[in-house]
Amino acid sequence: MTRGAAPPRSRADTPAWLVQPQAPLRPGSRVGRRRASFLERTLGDGAEVFRRAMYAEIDGSRGALQRLDPRAKLVALVALLVAVALVHSPLTLVVGYAAIVAVAWAGGVPMRSFVRRVWLVVPAFTAVAVAPATLSVVTPGQIVVPLWTWHGAPQGLTRQGLLAAALIVLRVACSVSLVLLVTLTTPWNRLLGALGALGVPRIFVTIIAMAYRYLFVLLGNITDLLMARKARTVRPPDHGAGDRRFVGAAVGTLLGKSHHLAEEVHQAMVARGYAGRHYALERSRFVAADVLVVLAALAAAVVILGVDRVLR
Amino acid sequence: MSCAEELPASEPVYAVRNLTYTYLGRFAALSGVSFDVRRGERVALLGANGSGKSTLLKILAGLIHPTSGHVAAFGKALTETALMEEQFNRDFRSRVGIVFQNPDTQVFSATVREEIAFGCLQLGLPPEEAQQRLDDVLRLLEITDLVERAPFQLSGGQKKKVALASVLVMNPEVILFDEPTAALDPRTQHWLIDLIGALGEAGKTIVVATHDLHTLADLTDRALVFAEDHTLLADAPTPAILADPAALLRANLIHDHRPY
Repeated sequence: MTRGAAPPRSRADTPAWLVQPQAPLRPGSRVGRRRASFLERTLGDGAEVFRRAMYAEIDGSRGALQRLDPRAKLVALVALLVAVALVHSPLTLVVGYAAIVAVAWAGGVPMRSFVRRVWLVVPAFTAVAVAPATLSVVTPGQIVVPLWTWHGAPQGLTRQGLLAAALIVLRVACSVSLVLLVTLTTPWNRLLGALGALGVPRIFVTIIAMAYRYLFVLLGNITDLLMARKARTVRPPDHGAGDRRFVGAAVGTLLGKSHHLAEEVHQAMVARGYAGRHYALERSRFVAADVLVVLAALAAAVVILGVDRVLR
Repeated sequence: MSCAEELPASEPVYAVRNLTYTYLGRFAALSGVSFDVRRGERVALLGANGSGKSTLLKILAGLIHPTSGHVAAFGKALTETALMEEQFNRDFRSRVGIVFQNPDTQVFSATVREEIAFGCLQLGLPPEEAQQRLDDVLRLLEITDLVERAPFQLSGGQKKKVALASVLVMNPEVILFDEPTAALDPRTQHWLIDLIGALGEAGKTIVVATHDLHTLADLTDRALVFAEDHTLLADAPTPAILADPAALLRANLIHDHRPY
Protein backbone atom coordinates (compact mmCIF):
# COMPACT_ATOMS: atom_id res chain seq x y z
CA MET A 1 0.00 0.00 0.00
CA THR A 2 1.38 3.38 -0.93
CA ARG A 3 0.25 6.03 1.38
CA GLY A 4 0.69 9.68 0.36
CA ALA A 5 3.36 11.58 2.25
CA ALA A 6 1.96 13.70 5.04
CA PRO A 7 1.67 17.35 3.96
CA PRO A 8 3.85 19.97 5.59
CA ARG A 9 2.28 20.92 8.90
CA SER A 10 4.15 24.11 9.54
CA ARG A 11 6.32 26.57 7.74
CA ALA A 12 9.36 24.85 9.26
CA ASP A 13 8.65 21.68 7.19
CA THR A 14 8.51 23.63 3.93
CA PRO A 15 11.71 23.75 1.84
CA ALA A 16 13.42 27.13 2.14
CA TRP A 17 13.26 27.83 -1.61
CA LEU A 18 9.50 27.45 -1.55
CA VAL A 19 9.02 30.28 0.91
CA GLN A 20 11.58 32.59 -0.67
CA PRO A 21 9.93 35.66 -2.24
CA GLN A 22 10.44 36.33 -5.96
CA ALA A 23 12.69 39.16 -7.08
CA PRO A 24 10.79 42.39 -7.83
CA LEU A 25 9.51 42.91 -11.36
CA ARG A 26 12.00 44.54 -13.72
CA PRO A 27 11.16 47.02 -16.50
CA GLY A 28 10.32 45.13 -19.72
CA SER A 29 12.78 47.03 -21.88
CA ARG A 30 15.76 45.44 -20.12
CA VAL A 31 15.00 41.93 -21.28
CA GLY A 32 13.68 42.67 -24.78
CA ARG A 33 10.41 41.68 -26.42
CA ARG A 34 9.47 38.04 -26.93
CA ARG A 35 7.77 36.48 -29.91
CA ALA A 36 5.53 33.42 -29.90
CA SER A 37 7.17 30.42 -31.51
CA PHE A 38 6.18 29.33 -35.00
CA LEU A 39 4.79 26.09 -33.59
CA GLU A 40 2.74 27.89 -30.96
CA ARG A 41 1.25 30.24 -33.53
CA THR A 42 0.59 27.49 -36.08
CA LEU A 43 -1.11 25.09 -33.68
CA GLY A 44 -2.95 27.82 -31.80
CA ASP A 45 -4.20 29.61 -34.93
CA GLY A 46 -5.07 26.30 -36.59
CA ALA A 47 -7.17 25.25 -33.62
CA GLU A 48 -8.86 28.67 -33.59
CA VAL A 49 -9.71 28.51 -37.31
CA PHE A 50 -11.29 25.06 -36.84
CA ARG A 51 -13.20 26.24 -33.81
CA ARG A 52 -14.56 29.33 -35.56
CA ALA A 53 -15.57 27.34 -38.62
CA MET A 54 -17.34 24.71 -36.56
CA TYR A 55 -19.00 26.99 -34.06
CA ALA A 56 -20.73 28.92 -36.84
CA GLU A 57 -24.42 28.80 -35.96
CA ILE A 58 -26.92 28.01 -38.66
CA ASP A 59 -30.30 29.61 -38.35
CA GLY A 60 -32.57 26.84 -39.56
CA SER A 61 -35.62 29.02 -40.07
CA ARG A 62 -34.15 32.05 -41.78
CA GLY A 63 -34.68 31.42 -45.49
CA ALA A 64 -36.18 29.14 -48.07
CA LEU A 65 -32.87 27.35 -48.62
CA GLN A 66 -32.60 26.56 -44.93
CA ARG A 67 -36.05 25.01 -44.87
CA LEU A 68 -35.49 22.62 -47.78
CA ASP A 69 -35.06 18.92 -47.09
CA PRO A 70 -31.32 18.19 -46.80
CA ARG A 71 -31.75 15.12 -49.03
CA ALA A 72 -33.01 17.32 -51.85
CA LYS A 73 -30.09 19.65 -51.32
CA LEU A 74 -27.60 16.79 -51.41
CA VAL A 75 -29.04 15.32 -54.63
CA ALA A 76 -29.04 18.79 -56.22
CA LEU A 77 -25.49 19.35 -55.03
CA VAL A 78 -24.21 16.15 -56.60
CA ALA A 79 -25.96 16.89 -59.93
CA LEU A 80 -24.52 20.41 -60.08
CA LEU A 81 -21.03 19.32 -59.00
CA VAL A 82 -20.96 16.78 -61.84
CA ALA A 83 -22.11 19.44 -64.30
CA VAL A 84 -19.46 21.89 -63.10
CA ALA A 85 -16.76 19.22 -63.41
CA LEU A 86 -17.75 18.57 -67.04
CA VAL A 87 -17.84 22.23 -68.16
CA HIS A 88 -15.04 23.30 -70.53
CA SER A 89 -15.76 27.00 -71.01
CA PRO A 90 -14.62 29.55 -68.39
CA LEU A 91 -17.47 31.80 -69.50
CA THR A 92 -20.05 29.15 -68.58
CA LEU A 93 -18.43 28.88 -65.17
CA VAL A 94 -18.44 32.66 -64.66
CA VAL A 95 -22.17 32.70 -65.40
CA GLY A 96 -22.65 29.65 -63.17
CA TYR A 97 -20.75 31.28 -60.31
CA ALA A 98 -22.89 34.42 -60.65
CA ALA A 99 -26.00 32.24 -60.49
CA ILE A 100 -24.76 30.47 -57.33
CA VAL A 101 -24.05 33.83 -55.65
CA ALA A 102 -27.51 35.05 -56.66
CA VAL A 103 -29.15 31.95 -55.17
CA ALA A 104 -27.12 32.38 -51.97
CA TRP A 105 -28.17 36.02 -51.74
CA ALA A 106 -31.81 35.14 -52.33
CA GLY A 107 -31.53 32.42 -49.69
CA GLY A 108 -30.37 34.87 -47.04
CA VAL A 109 -26.81 33.53 -46.79
CA PRO A 110 -24.43 36.18 -45.38
CA MET A 111 -22.80 37.31 -48.63
CA ARG A 112 -19.55 38.67 -47.24
CA SER A 113 -18.68 35.47 -45.44
CA PHE A 114 -19.86 33.34 -48.37
CA VAL A 115 -17.69 35.10 -50.97
CA ARG A 116 -14.73 35.54 -48.66
CA ARG A 117 -14.59 31.85 -47.69
CA VAL A 118 -14.41 30.86 -51.35
CA TRP A 119 -11.87 33.43 -52.47
CA LEU A 120 -9.61 32.91 -49.46
CA VAL A 121 -9.41 29.17 -50.09
CA VAL A 122 -9.28 29.10 -53.90
CA PRO A 123 -6.19 31.30 -54.43
CA ALA A 124 -4.36 29.64 -51.56
CA PHE A 125 -4.86 26.05 -52.62
CA THR A 126 -5.74 26.07 -56.31
CA ALA A 127 -4.20 29.13 -57.92
CA VAL A 128 -0.78 28.24 -56.49
CA ALA A 129 -1.07 24.69 -57.79
CA VAL A 130 -2.13 25.69 -61.32
CA ALA A 131 0.23 28.69 -61.64
CA PRO A 132 2.99 26.65 -63.37
CA ALA A 133 0.48 25.53 -66.02
CA THR A 134 0.19 29.13 -67.24
CA LEU A 135 3.86 29.16 -68.32
CA SER A 136 4.93 28.34 -71.87
CA VAL A 137 7.37 25.69 -70.59
CA VAL A 138 4.40 23.70 -69.28
CA THR A 139 1.62 24.71 -71.69
CA PRO A 140 3.04 25.78 -75.06
CA GLY A 141 0.99 28.25 -77.09
CA GLN A 142 0.47 31.91 -77.87
CA ILE A 143 2.52 33.99 -75.45
CA VAL A 144 0.52 36.89 -74.10
CA VAL A 145 2.89 38.00 -71.31
CA PRO A 146 6.57 37.49 -72.23
CA LEU A 147 8.77 36.98 -69.16
CA TRP A 148 12.15 35.72 -70.41
CA THR A 149 13.85 34.27 -73.50
CA TRP A 150 15.20 30.78 -73.94
CA HIS A 151 17.62 30.22 -76.88
CA GLY A 152 16.23 33.35 -78.47
CA ALA A 153 12.60 32.26 -78.14
CA PRO A 154 10.34 34.34 -75.87
CA GLN A 155 8.88 32.48 -72.89
CA GLY A 156 6.12 33.51 -70.47
CA LEU A 157 2.40 33.17 -69.83
CA THR A 158 0.46 31.60 -72.67
CA ARG A 159 -3.14 32.16 -73.66
CA GLN A 160 -3.82 28.43 -73.53
CA GLY A 161 -2.15 28.13 -70.12
CA LEU A 162 -4.11 31.06 -68.69
CA LEU A 163 -7.38 29.66 -70.04
CA ALA A 164 -6.63 26.22 -68.55
CA ALA A 165 -5.73 27.77 -65.19
CA ALA A 166 -8.85 29.98 -65.23
CA LEU A 167 -10.96 26.93 -66.02
CA ILE A 168 -9.59 24.99 -63.05
CA VAL A 169 -9.79 27.94 -60.65
CA LEU A 170 -13.38 28.69 -61.71
CA ARG A 171 -14.38 25.03 -61.45
CA VAL A 172 -13.00 24.90 -57.91
CA ALA A 173 -14.64 28.21 -57.01
CA CYS A 174 -18.03 27.01 -58.29
CA SER A 175 -17.67 23.62 -56.57
CA VAL A 176 -16.59 25.13 -53.24
CA SER A 177 -19.42 27.68 -53.49
CA LEU A 178 -22.00 24.94 -54.08
CA VAL A 179 -20.72 22.91 -51.13
CA LEU A 180 -20.67 26.03 -48.94
CA LEU A 181 -24.19 26.91 -50.01
CA VAL A 182 -25.38 23.54 -48.73
CA THR A 183 -23.31 23.48 -45.54
CA LEU A 184 -24.16 27.08 -44.61
CA THR A 185 -27.88 26.43 -44.96
CA THR A 186 -28.07 22.98 -43.38
CA PRO A 187 -27.27 22.10 -39.76
CA TRP A 188 -24.53 19.48 -39.54
CA ASN A 189 -26.72 16.87 -37.89
CA ARG A 190 -29.43 17.18 -40.57
CA LEU A 191 -26.80 16.85 -43.26
CA LEU A 192 -25.58 13.65 -41.65
CA GLY A 193 -29.16 12.41 -41.37
CA ALA A 194 -29.64 13.09 -45.07
CA LEU A 195 -26.53 11.09 -45.93
CA GLY A 196 -28.01 8.17 -44.02
CA ALA A 197 -31.39 8.58 -45.73
CA LEU A 198 -29.70 8.57 -49.13
CA GLY A 199 -28.21 5.16 -48.48
CA VAL A 200 -24.79 6.01 -47.03
CA PRO A 201 -24.20 3.21 -44.47
CA ARG A 202 -25.30 4.31 -40.99
CA ILE A 203 -22.02 3.23 -39.41
CA PHE A 204 -20.13 5.45 -41.87
CA VAL A 205 -22.33 8.43 -40.99
CA THR A 206 -21.86 7.71 -37.27
CA ILE A 207 -18.10 7.61 -37.66
CA ILE A 208 -18.15 11.01 -39.43
CA ALA A 209 -20.39 12.46 -36.72
CA MET A 210 -18.20 11.15 -33.92
CA ALA A 211 -14.99 12.27 -35.62
CA TYR A 212 -16.49 15.77 -35.92
CA ARG A 213 -17.69 15.64 -32.31
CA TYR A 214 -14.37 14.56 -30.82
CA LEU A 215 -12.33 16.90 -32.98
CA PHE A 216 -13.49 19.56 -30.52
CA VAL A 217 -12.35 17.60 -27.52
CA LEU A 218 -8.94 17.05 -29.07
CA LEU A 219 -8.75 20.70 -30.16
CA GLY A 220 -9.39 21.62 -26.54
CA ASN A 221 -6.60 19.27 -25.50
CA ILE A 222 -4.17 20.84 -27.99
CA THR A 223 -5.06 24.32 -26.76
CA ASP A 224 -4.63 23.20 -23.12
CA LEU A 225 -1.23 21.67 -23.88
CA LEU A 226 -0.09 24.86 -25.61
CA MET A 227 -1.31 27.04 -22.76
CA ALA A 228 0.24 24.81 -20.11
CA ARG A 229 3.55 25.03 -21.94
CA LYS A 230 3.23 28.78 -22.40
CA ALA A 231 2.39 29.27 -18.72
CA ARG A 232 5.67 27.61 -17.71
CA THR A 233 7.88 28.99 -20.49
CA VAL A 234 10.12 31.45 -18.70
CA ARG A 235 13.08 31.65 -21.05
CA PRO A 236 12.75 32.94 -24.62
CA PRO A 237 10.94 30.35 -26.78
CA ASP A 238 13.13 27.67 -28.31
CA HIS A 239 12.26 27.58 -32.03
CA GLY A 240 14.17 24.40 -32.80
CA ALA A 241 14.77 21.26 -30.80
CA GLY A 242 12.44 22.36 -27.99
CA ASP A 243 9.54 22.74 -30.42
CA ARG A 244 10.24 19.33 -31.95
CA ARG A 245 10.38 17.70 -28.53
CA PHE A 246 7.09 19.35 -27.60
CA VAL A 247 5.40 18.17 -30.80
CA GLY A 248 6.62 14.62 -30.14
CA ALA A 249 5.38 14.69 -26.56
CA ALA A 250 2.06 16.32 -27.56
CA VAL A 251 1.42 13.73 -30.27
CA GLY A 252 2.09 10.94 -27.76
CA THR A 253 -0.14 12.54 -25.15
CA LEU A 254 -2.99 13.10 -27.60
CA LEU A 255 -2.70 9.56 -28.91
CA GLY A 256 -2.94 8.18 -25.37
CA LYS A 257 -5.86 10.47 -24.51
CA SER A 258 -7.75 9.68 -27.72
CA HIS A 259 -7.28 5.94 -27.13
CA HIS A 260 -8.65 6.23 -23.59
CA LEU A 261 -11.49 8.43 -24.82
CA ALA A 262 -12.39 5.98 -27.59
CA GLU A 263 -12.54 3.14 -25.08
CA GLU A 264 -14.78 5.07 -22.69
CA VAL A 265 -17.06 6.32 -25.47
CA HIS A 266 -17.56 2.75 -26.61
CA GLN A 267 -18.33 1.70 -23.03
CA ALA A 268 -20.83 4.56 -22.73
CA MET A 269 -22.53 3.36 -25.92
CA VAL A 270 -22.59 -0.29 -24.81
CA ALA A 271 -24.00 0.74 -21.42
CA ARG A 272 -27.01 2.20 -23.24
CA GLY A 273 -27.67 -0.94 -25.22
CA TYR A 274 -25.52 -0.35 -28.31
CA ALA A 275 -24.92 -3.60 -30.16
CA GLY A 276 -23.59 -2.40 -33.49
CA ARG A 277 -26.78 -0.91 -34.93
CA HIS A 278 -27.91 2.69 -35.21
CA TYR A 279 -31.44 4.02 -35.34
CA ALA A 280 -32.79 7.46 -36.21
CA LEU A 281 -35.41 9.23 -34.13
CA GLU A 282 -37.18 11.01 -36.95
CA ARG A 283 -37.43 10.74 -40.68
CA SER A 284 -37.85 13.95 -42.65
CA ARG A 285 -40.56 14.16 -45.31
CA PHE A 286 -40.10 15.10 -48.93
CA VAL A 287 -42.52 17.87 -49.88
CA ALA A 288 -43.32 19.42 -53.26
CA ALA A 289 -40.71 22.15 -52.81
CA ASP A 290 -38.00 19.53 -52.30
CA VAL A 291 -39.00 17.66 -55.45
CA LEU A 292 -38.96 20.98 -57.32
CA VAL A 293 -35.45 21.73 -56.08
CA VAL A 294 -34.16 18.37 -57.28
CA LEU A 295 -35.83 18.82 -60.69
CA ALA A 296 -34.56 22.40 -60.96
CA ALA A 297 -31.02 21.28 -60.13
CA LEU A 298 -31.15 18.51 -62.72
CA ALA A 299 -32.52 20.95 -65.29
CA ALA A 300 -29.80 23.47 -64.39
CA ALA A 301 -27.15 20.79 -64.83
CA VAL A 302 -28.49 19.96 -68.30
CA VAL A 303 -28.68 23.66 -69.24
CA ILE A 304 -25.13 24.29 -68.01
CA LEU A 305 -23.78 21.44 -70.11
CA GLY A 306 -25.86 22.52 -73.15
CA VAL A 307 -24.68 26.14 -72.94
CA ASP A 308 -21.13 24.95 -72.46
CA ARG A 309 -21.31 22.87 -75.63
CA VAL A 310 -22.44 25.97 -77.58
CA LEU A 311 -19.75 28.22 -76.09
CA ARG A 312 -16.92 25.72 -76.50
CA MET B 1 -33.77 -16.56 -14.32
CA SER B 2 -34.19 -13.60 -16.64
CA CYS B 3 -33.77 -10.29 -14.93
CA ALA B 4 -37.01 -9.27 -16.60
CA GLU B 5 -38.75 -11.38 -14.00
CA GLU B 6 -39.60 -9.68 -10.73
CA LEU B 7 -36.77 -10.02 -8.23
CA PRO B 8 -37.79 -11.21 -4.76
CA ALA B 9 -37.54 -8.38 -2.25
CA SER B 10 -34.87 -10.27 -0.31
CA GLU B 11 -32.73 -10.88 -3.41
CA PRO B 12 -29.92 -8.34 -3.73
CA VAL B 13 -29.71 -6.32 -6.94
CA TYR B 14 -25.97 -6.95 -6.86
CA ALA B 15 -24.09 -9.71 -5.05
CA VAL B 16 -20.32 -9.26 -5.26
CA ARG B 17 -18.07 -11.97 -3.87
CA ASN B 18 -14.29 -11.90 -3.49
CA LEU B 19 -13.92 -9.63 -6.49
CA THR B 20 -10.43 -8.93 -7.83
CA TYR B 21 -9.53 -6.82 -10.86
CA THR B 22 -6.07 -6.13 -12.20
CA TYR B 23 -5.07 -3.94 -15.12
CA LEU B 24 -2.60 -5.50 -17.56
CA GLY B 25 -2.33 -8.47 -15.22
CA ARG B 26 -0.09 -6.44 -12.89
CA PHE B 27 -1.75 -3.37 -11.44
CA ALA B 28 -4.39 -4.19 -8.86
CA ALA B 29 -7.54 -2.06 -8.95
CA LEU B 30 -9.72 -4.17 -6.63
CA SER B 31 -8.69 -6.90 -4.26
CA GLY B 32 -11.01 -9.45 -2.60
CA VAL B 33 -14.07 -7.20 -2.43
CA SER B 34 -17.43 -8.62 -1.26
CA PHE B 35 -20.74 -6.83 -0.67
CA ASP B 36 -24.43 -6.80 -1.62
CA VAL B 37 -26.56 -3.94 -2.89
CA ARG B 38 -30.28 -4.23 -2.20
CA ARG B 39 -33.14 -2.73 -4.14
CA GLY B 40 -33.74 0.96 -3.40
CA GLU B 41 -30.48 1.45 -1.52
CA ARG B 42 -28.34 4.56 -1.98
CA VAL B 43 -24.77 3.36 -1.66
CA ALA B 44 -21.51 5.30 -1.81
CA LEU B 45 -18.27 3.77 -3.04
CA LEU B 46 -15.93 5.94 -1.03
CA GLY B 47 -12.21 6.02 -1.54
CA ALA B 48 -9.17 8.09 -2.41
CA ASN B 49 -8.04 8.56 -6.01
CA GLY B 50 -6.90 5.28 -7.54
CA SER B 51 -8.64 3.08 -4.95
CA GLY B 52 -10.70 1.29 -7.63
CA LYS B 53 -14.11 3.01 -7.37
CA SER B 54 -14.50 3.77 -11.06
CA THR B 55 -13.33 0.27 -11.98
CA LEU B 56 -15.95 -1.20 -9.66
CA LEU B 57 -18.67 0.97 -11.20
CA LYS B 58 -17.73 -0.28 -14.67
CA ILE B 59 -17.85 -3.86 -13.40
CA LEU B 60 -21.31 -3.23 -11.92
CA ALA B 61 -22.32 -1.76 -15.29
CA GLY B 62 -21.13 -4.92 -17.03
CA LEU B 63 -18.62 -2.98 -19.11
CA ILE B 64 -15.53 -4.77 -17.83
CA HIS B 65 -15.35 -8.09 -16.01
CA PRO B 66 -13.50 -9.25 -12.90
CA THR B 67 -10.13 -10.96 -13.11
CA SER B 68 -11.43 -13.32 -10.43
CA GLY B 69 -14.40 -13.52 -8.09
CA HIS B 70 -18.10 -13.41 -8.80
CA VAL B 71 -20.62 -10.69 -9.56
CA ALA B 72 -24.34 -11.39 -9.82
CA ALA B 73 -26.87 -8.81 -10.99
CA PHE B 74 -30.61 -9.35 -10.53
CA GLY B 75 -29.87 -12.91 -9.42
CA LYS B 76 -27.89 -13.87 -12.52
CA ALA B 77 -24.10 -14.09 -12.96
CA LEU B 78 -22.87 -10.91 -14.64
CA THR B 79 -20.29 -12.30 -17.04
CA GLU B 80 -19.17 -11.52 -20.56
CA THR B 81 -20.84 -14.72 -21.76
CA ALA B 82 -24.13 -13.87 -20.04
CA LEU B 83 -24.16 -10.43 -21.64
CA MET B 84 -23.73 -11.99 -25.05
CA GLU B 85 -27.23 -13.46 -24.65
CA GLU B 86 -29.43 -10.99 -26.50
CA GLN B 87 -32.26 -11.15 -23.95
CA PHE B 88 -30.12 -10.75 -20.84
CA ASN B 89 -28.07 -7.97 -22.44
CA ARG B 90 -31.27 -6.09 -23.31
CA ASP B 91 -32.81 -6.65 -19.86
CA PHE B 92 -29.63 -5.70 -18.06
CA ARG B 93 -28.88 -2.59 -20.15
CA SER B 94 -32.43 -1.31 -19.73
CA ARG B 95 -32.18 -1.73 -15.95
CA VAL B 96 -28.72 -0.36 -15.24
CA GLY B 97 -27.59 3.11 -16.28
CA ILE B 98 -24.17 4.62 -15.70
CA VAL B 99 -23.29 8.31 -15.67
CA PHE B 100 -19.59 8.69 -16.42
CA GLN B 101 -17.39 11.19 -14.64
CA ASN B 102 -16.33 12.86 -17.88
CA PRO B 103 -19.47 13.95 -19.75
CA ASP B 104 -17.49 14.24 -22.99
CA THR B 105 -17.25 10.47 -22.88
CA GLN B 106 -20.98 10.05 -22.71
CA VAL B 107 -22.26 12.81 -24.94
CA PHE B 108 -21.11 11.48 -28.29
CA SER B 109 -23.98 12.23 -30.68
CA ALA B 110 -24.25 15.16 -33.07
CA THR B 111 -27.04 16.88 -31.11
CA VAL B 112 -28.58 16.77 -27.64
CA ARG B 113 -31.79 15.36 -29.15
CA GLU B 114 -29.99 12.41 -30.76
CA GLU B 115 -27.92 11.87 -27.64
CA ILE B 116 -30.90 11.53 -25.35
CA ALA B 117 -32.87 9.43 -27.85
CA PHE B 118 -29.94 7.04 -28.41
CA GLY B 119 -30.69 4.66 -25.53
CA CYS B 120 -34.45 4.54 -26.19
CA LEU B 121 -33.90 3.70 -29.82
CA GLN B 122 -31.32 1.06 -28.93
CA LEU B 123 -33.91 -0.54 -26.66
CA GLY B 124 -36.31 -0.67 -29.60
CA LEU B 125 -38.89 1.80 -28.28
CA PRO B 126 -41.18 3.14 -31.02
CA PRO B 127 -40.07 6.63 -32.20
CA GLU B 128 -43.27 8.21 -30.78
CA GLU B 129 -42.60 6.83 -27.30
CA ALA B 130 -38.92 7.76 -27.55
CA GLN B 131 -39.97 11.30 -28.52
CA GLN B 132 -42.40 11.49 -25.58
CA ARG B 133 -39.73 10.33 -23.12
CA LEU B 134 -37.26 12.75 -24.66
CA ASP B 135 -39.66 15.68 -24.15
CA ASP B 136 -40.39 14.59 -20.56
CA VAL B 137 -36.77 14.21 -19.55
CA LEU B 138 -35.82 17.53 -21.19
CA ARG B 139 -38.52 19.20 -19.09
CA LEU B 140 -37.46 17.35 -15.95
CA LEU B 141 -33.85 18.43 -16.27
CA GLU B 142 -34.76 21.91 -17.54
CA ILE B 143 -32.74 21.59 -20.73
CA THR B 144 -35.48 21.90 -23.35
CA ASP B 145 -33.73 24.92 -24.87
CA LEU B 146 -30.59 22.86 -25.50
CA VAL B 147 -32.26 20.18 -27.62
CA GLU B 148 -30.87 21.26 -31.00
CA ARG B 149 -27.43 22.14 -29.72
CA ALA B 150 -24.27 20.25 -30.57
CA PRO B 151 -22.27 18.95 -27.58
CA PHE B 152 -19.41 21.38 -28.19
CA GLN B 153 -21.85 24.23 -27.67
CA LEU B 154 -22.60 23.12 -24.08
CA SER B 155 -20.96 24.13 -20.81
CA GLY B 156 -19.61 21.48 -18.44
CA GLY B 157 -22.74 21.59 -16.27
CA GLN B 158 -25.03 21.38 -19.30
CA LYS B 159 -23.10 18.38 -20.64
CA LYS B 160 -23.50 16.68 -17.28
CA LYS B 161 -27.26 17.29 -17.41
CA VAL B 162 -27.43 15.88 -20.94
CA ALA B 163 -25.42 12.83 -19.88
CA LEU B 164 -27.81 12.29 -16.98
CA ALA B 165 -30.82 12.79 -19.25
CA SER B 166 -29.45 10.23 -21.70
CA VAL B 167 -29.47 7.66 -18.87
CA LEU B 168 -32.71 8.70 -17.13
CA VAL B 169 -34.66 8.50 -20.39
CA MET B 170 -34.14 4.72 -20.34
CA ASN B 171 -35.81 4.56 -16.90
CA PRO B 172 -33.18 2.30 -15.32
CA GLU B 173 -33.78 0.61 -11.96
CA VAL B 174 -30.17 1.09 -10.95
CA ILE B 175 -28.19 4.25 -11.63
CA LEU B 176 -24.42 4.26 -11.20
CA PHE B 177 -22.79 7.68 -10.82
CA ASP B 178 -19.06 8.27 -11.15
CA GLU B 179 -18.10 11.39 -9.19
CA PRO B 180 -21.42 13.10 -9.96
CA THR B 181 -20.64 16.41 -8.30
CA ALA B 182 -17.08 16.76 -9.61
CA ALA B 183 -16.36 20.01 -11.47
CA LEU B 184 -19.88 21.35 -10.99
CA ASP B 185 -20.64 24.78 -9.62
CA PRO B 186 -22.37 24.84 -6.19
CA ARG B 187 -25.82 25.57 -7.64
CA THR B 188 -25.65 22.65 -10.10
CA GLN B 189 -24.23 20.45 -7.34
CA HIS B 190 -27.24 21.14 -5.13
CA TRP B 191 -29.62 20.62 -8.03
CA LEU B 192 -28.00 17.24 -8.74
CA ILE B 193 -28.09 16.21 -5.08
CA ASP B 194 -31.80 17.01 -4.98
CA LEU B 195 -32.39 15.04 -8.16
CA ILE B 196 -30.49 11.99 -6.91
CA GLY B 197 -32.47 12.22 -3.66
CA ALA B 198 -35.73 12.29 -5.63
CA LEU B 199 -34.63 9.30 -7.70
CA GLY B 200 -33.83 7.42 -4.50
CA GLU B 201 -37.25 8.26 -3.08
CA ALA B 202 -38.79 7.01 -6.33
CA GLY B 203 -37.27 3.61 -5.52
CA LYS B 204 -34.23 3.68 -7.78
CA THR B 205 -31.11 1.94 -6.56
CA ILE B 206 -28.29 4.48 -6.55
CA VAL B 207 -24.57 3.70 -6.44
CA VAL B 208 -22.26 6.69 -6.29
CA ALA B 209 -18.46 6.57 -6.59
CA THR B 210 -17.08 9.59 -4.79
CA HIS B 211 -14.44 11.02 -2.51
CA ASP B 212 -16.48 14.11 -1.74
CA LEU B 213 -17.27 13.87 1.97
CA HIS B 214 -19.29 17.09 1.95
CA THR B 215 -22.07 15.74 -0.28
CA LEU B 216 -21.91 12.13 0.94
CA ALA B 217 -24.65 12.33 3.58
CA ASP B 218 -27.02 14.04 1.13
CA LEU B 219 -26.41 11.52 -1.62
CA THR B 220 -26.29 8.15 0.17
CA ASP B 221 -27.47 6.12 3.16
CA ARG B 222 -24.68 3.56 3.18
CA ALA B 223 -20.98 3.78 2.37
CA LEU B 224 -18.42 1.19 1.29
CA VAL B 225 -14.98 2.55 2.08
CA PHE B 226 -12.07 1.41 -0.08
CA ALA B 227 -8.50 1.46 1.12
CA GLU B 228 -5.59 2.43 -1.06
CA ASP B 229 -4.58 -1.22 -1.21
CA HIS B 230 -7.89 -1.74 -3.11
CA THR B 231 -9.57 -3.77 -0.36
CA LEU B 232 -12.92 -2.99 1.24
CA LEU B 233 -12.13 -1.24 4.50
CA ALA B 234 -15.59 -0.59 5.89
CA ASP B 235 -19.25 -1.08 5.04
CA ALA B 236 -21.63 0.89 7.27
CA PRO B 237 -24.38 3.53 7.21
CA THR B 238 -23.07 6.83 5.85
CA PRO B 239 -23.53 8.78 9.14
CA ALA B 240 -21.51 6.10 10.97
CA ILE B 241 -18.70 6.30 8.39
CA LEU B 242 -18.62 10.09 8.56
CA ALA B 243 -18.44 9.86 12.35
CA ASP B 244 -15.47 7.48 12.17
CA PRO B 245 -12.37 9.58 11.48
CA ALA B 246 -10.13 6.52 11.98
CA ALA B 247 -11.70 4.73 8.99
CA LEU B 248 -11.53 7.90 6.85
CA LEU B 249 -7.91 8.39 7.87
CA ARG B 250 -7.03 4.79 6.98
CA ALA B 251 -8.64 5.30 3.57
CA ASN B 252 -6.53 8.47 3.16
CA LEU B 253 -9.68 10.56 2.74
CA ILE B 254 -8.77 13.00 5.52
CA HIS B 255 -5.58 14.15 7.22
CA ASP B 256 -5.14 13.81 10.94
CA HIS B 257 -4.33 17.52 11.28
CA ARG B 258 -7.39 18.57 9.31
CA PRO B 259 -10.25 16.16 10.07
CA TYR B 260 -13.52 16.27 8.18
